[in-house]
Amino acid sequence: MNEPQPATLKAENEQLKAELAQVKAATNQYLQNVAHQLTAPLGAIKWSIEALKDPRVPLSRKSKLLSSIYSQATILVHLIKNFALMSNLEADLELGQFREKPEPIDVMKLAINLANDFQPQASEQGLKILVDEVAFSNVFGSKRLAIEKNLVAQAISNVLENAVKYADSDGTIRVSAWSDDSHVGIVVESSGIPISDKERVNIFARGFRGAAARQKVAAGTGIGLYLASRVMTLHEGSIQLETSGRVSRFALIFPRKRLR
Amino acid sequence: MSHYRHTILFVDDEPFFTEPLRLLLEAKGFNCVSFTDMSSAIDFLDQNDVSVLVSDIMMPSGDAFPGIDSSETGFHFVSMVRKEFPDVRIICLSVIGDQSKIHKLKRQGALYLRKGETPLDTAASLIESKATGVTSF
Repeated sequence: MNEPQPATLKAENEQLKAELAQVKAATNQYLQNVAHQLTAPLGAIKWSIEALKDPRVPLSRKSKLLSSIYSQATILVHLIKNFALMSNLEADLELGQFREKPEPIDVMKLAINLANDFQPQASEQGLKILVDEVAFSNVFGSKRLAIEKNLVAQAISNVLENAVKYADSDGTIRVSAWSDDSHVGIVVESSGIPISDKERVNIFARGFRGAAARQKVAAGTGIGLYLASRVMTLHEGSIQLETSGRVSRFALIFPRKRLR
Repeated sequence: MSHYRHTILFVDDEPFFTEPLRLLLEAKGFNCVSFTDMSSAIDFLDQNDVSVLVSDIMMPSGDAFPGIDSSETGFHFVSMVRKEFPDVRIICLSVIGDQSKIHKLKRQGALYLRKGETPLDTAASLIESKATGVTSF
């Protein structure tokens, strides 16, 4: 067997060092992003409370501060759940320990609850979230879907949160249901920044954020759609994106056999 | 004391963050204006007298400056304001922790406050002091 030459070893060593530096830089950037994501809502809550307590701020302006505190707390809870989910899924990826414990869930009720959660945040941008109850009744009727409720709720939340962040102001985000012979799905449709074909290929990759998305909202973790996609894979389903101009349709699709 | 002759310009893509500060300064009598990107803020600076600019760092650059990475927008913005509008006092409000970048802002005469760390009343008083040379509590 040929011994590696010192020059080859040195070159490999240099390459590994360069790769390590790249990983460190990416990790730093990610941590900075996470810090920004967590600090901004907490800071906003803190300042809003200080303004609420300040007698110089007119009472008439204070109800807006209360709404803002509610929205920021919702964002924070959602973010922390995402980080926890990320950690659990990464552990599962390495150890293969995920064991599904599905329960039958009324999907329309879940969609309405999540829409209500995000409506205050949406209202700040003049957006309305509509749940198409007729479509849900047509697809699900009185049947329930056997899913891990918390995981699927987080997946829908991630898609909804993106819609709220990137939709055109004063528009409508429509949450509806879809089916074919072998699948049922939940669809979130909104009009906002266009998604290019190139971005569409990478949109479910971990850490990916499109150029226009970064331009509209500077800070973001880039893990929301990745997590949604992982959750759907765990449910033997998928997440699909259709676009037409400024309109985007994200569909979370489950096998029909999950209907109970 | 009314400060209506002083305009405070806020630039932050998360306006809910600066809203409490804005409310407190308006209660003190300042005229406050908010934008969510650098391009709109530059347009406003071109047309209006601004006493103090309170700017985020990570924010969209807007249509007029398409090539700027949004994580660096504030640095470009501060340099441009320093050059084009030298009388405007600048306060940066962000969460960046990179000391070399913070020093760069300070060398340009900007005051740097970390979001969430400075009490609201202190931040409002600092802005008031920058705008009028007088601080009231």
